[in-house]
Amino acid sequence: MAMHIVVAAKQVLDPEGVNSYALWGRLTVDETQRSFTVGDVIPRIINAYDEQAMEAALRIRDSGVDCRITALTVGGGAATDVLKRCLAMGAEDAVHVDDTESDRADGFRTAALLAAAVRKMGDVDLVLCGRQGSDYDQGTVPGVLAELLDAALVTVAADVRATEDGVQVVRVTPQGLETVEATLPAVVSVSNEIGVARAPSARGMLDARRKKPAVYDSAELLTGAGGGVEVVRVFVPDVQGHCEMIEGDTPAERASRLLDALAKAGVLGGH
Amino acid sequence: MATDVLVVATEASNDGLARAATEAIGAGARLAGALGGELWVLAPAGVAASEAAELGAGRVYTYAPGAEVLSTVTEAAQLSSSRIIVVNRGAIGLDVAARLAARLSGGCVLGVTDVIVQGDDIEAIAAIYGGAARAQFRFVNAGPRVISLAPGAGEPPARQQGRTTEVVHIEAAGDARVRVMEPAKAAEGPRLEDAAVVVSGGRGLRDGENYGLIRELAGALGGMPGASRAIVDDGWAKPAEQVGLTGKIVTPDVYFAAGISGASQHMAGCSNARAIVAINTDATAPIFRYAHFGIVGDCLELLPELIRVAKERAASG
Repeated sequence: MAMHIVVAAKQVLDPEGVNSYALWGRLTVDETQRSFTVGDVIPRIINAYDEQAMEAALRIRDSGVDCRITALTVGGGAATDVLKRCLAMGAEDAVHVDDTESDRADGFRTAALLAAAVRKMGDVDLVLCGRQGSDYDQGTVPGVLAELLDAALVTVAADVRATEDGVQVVRVTPQGLETVEATLPAVVSVSNEIGVARAPSARGMLDARRKKPAVYDSAELLTGAGGGVEVVRVFVPDVQGHCEMIEGDTPAERASRLLDALAKAGVLGGH
Repeated sequence: MATDVLVVATEASNDGLARAATEAIGAGARLAGALGGELWVLAPAGVAASEAAELGAGRVYTYAPGAEVLSTVTEAAQLSSSRIIVVNRGAIGLDVAARLAARLSGGCVLGVTDVIVQGDDIEAIAAIYGGAARAQFRFVNAGPRVISLAPGAGEPPARQQGRTTEVVHIEAAGDARVRVMEPAKAAEGPRLEDAAVVVSGGRGLRDGENYGLIRELAGALGGMPGASRAIVDDGWAKPAEQVGLTGKIVTPDVYFAAGISGASQHMAGCSNARAIVAINTDATAPIFRYAHFGIVGDCLELLPELIRVAKERAASG
């Protein structure tokens, strides 16, 4: 039977956009203190790590494994853009857990909804997701999801392969790369070391337009809040902002002056 | 009801606890003090456990090195009935902390930069959007509050030489679902984290071959090469060379960022450098907001000159 892979993906405010607004002092907090006022001007994109999880799924298929890939997301109506992206990249199916009430900062609620959706699908072998959302950067979803599904958990993958009866994963650890094997069902979180995700093909984009995601109602999937944490407030820390510019007529002159300045500052010894 | 704190101090070698573990014990001690609770520490049996006692643990839970961590930590959490669990930073944060919180019907915040005591409870502040902003989280369930700390968020406590304390050994059943086939080889030679000079490159190098200039300048300055996440994704540099929130956290005397725009994600890995040097063609690039020294220009023109000058100066003395 074909291996059923679910790719869990979420939509995030483009972190580079948030970054730019923060640096130029224009990232402001709204009256709730819990979110930024830039929600309408910064584009929402697929979380890059999740896109790389989708890439990992496609590479399993490329390796010749008979598999079916379902993209899964939790969120309001706009969240389906993420599913369209995954469909265009090559997912067969897509499931949208409609949850407008979802506080996106709570990975516990998200994971509870993902777990319920995966259970409803019934035949899932492997869940791939990004190592963390590039919005809240928490990385709690994979662990909670694995616990709720009673599945094996492997985090921060740089390479994922299907084996006869499980998955073999090369994971990034602070000590270097480690190879592990896990039984199925498994949750594997994918890191950027896997490389750039492929762009959707023209054909893929046409196909994606014809497919409609299945919609699961969050209230039916989850009784109770299922949450673990809640954002009290968000704020922007200060950046130092005093840069001494090194001038000079030629690159050689500037290189020389830079190394002089560093020696004088006492941070570059012996030069 | 007093609120007890369990510190999960797994980062250790044969020589004892690593900095990540002692920082976590320091943070745990501060919280236990503020909340009027006890400080418990889970550490590998042996030198690390003795060290935990010297650092002030009221009781030390030990486990055999190699034991499965999640079930060991779960048992220690249950035996100690701790309301707050501080997990030392490292791979264990993503592997164990959230799963433990889910298992015990609690909550979890990772990469905590500050812990705020509110009455008999805590709230945790963590970096979001790659470090561009912060969020303060509160815990909504009755179960344990599980946190792991960002680098430098705790101070190691003073050591009380020869202090001993009660020790409880835990033997938890293992989880056979994940087997290590090939363990990570401890990197040989110098580590990026310890380098006094780090020279990093980004997409401004324009081509993977030009990363050679980064290596060469790092070599000429007696430092090590680093990279932005973007060029690691592109395959121009090795994953071990990635500096940033999801890569290495470096603290050199001087950090060169050549052709790096300065995304918060990257800066989270190098902002504790004593001096940051930015080389970028775009004078409005965010990197200049963080940098102490800057050159507006093409790093492909400047790097060869820097290499030449650095080599000349090294040769002359």
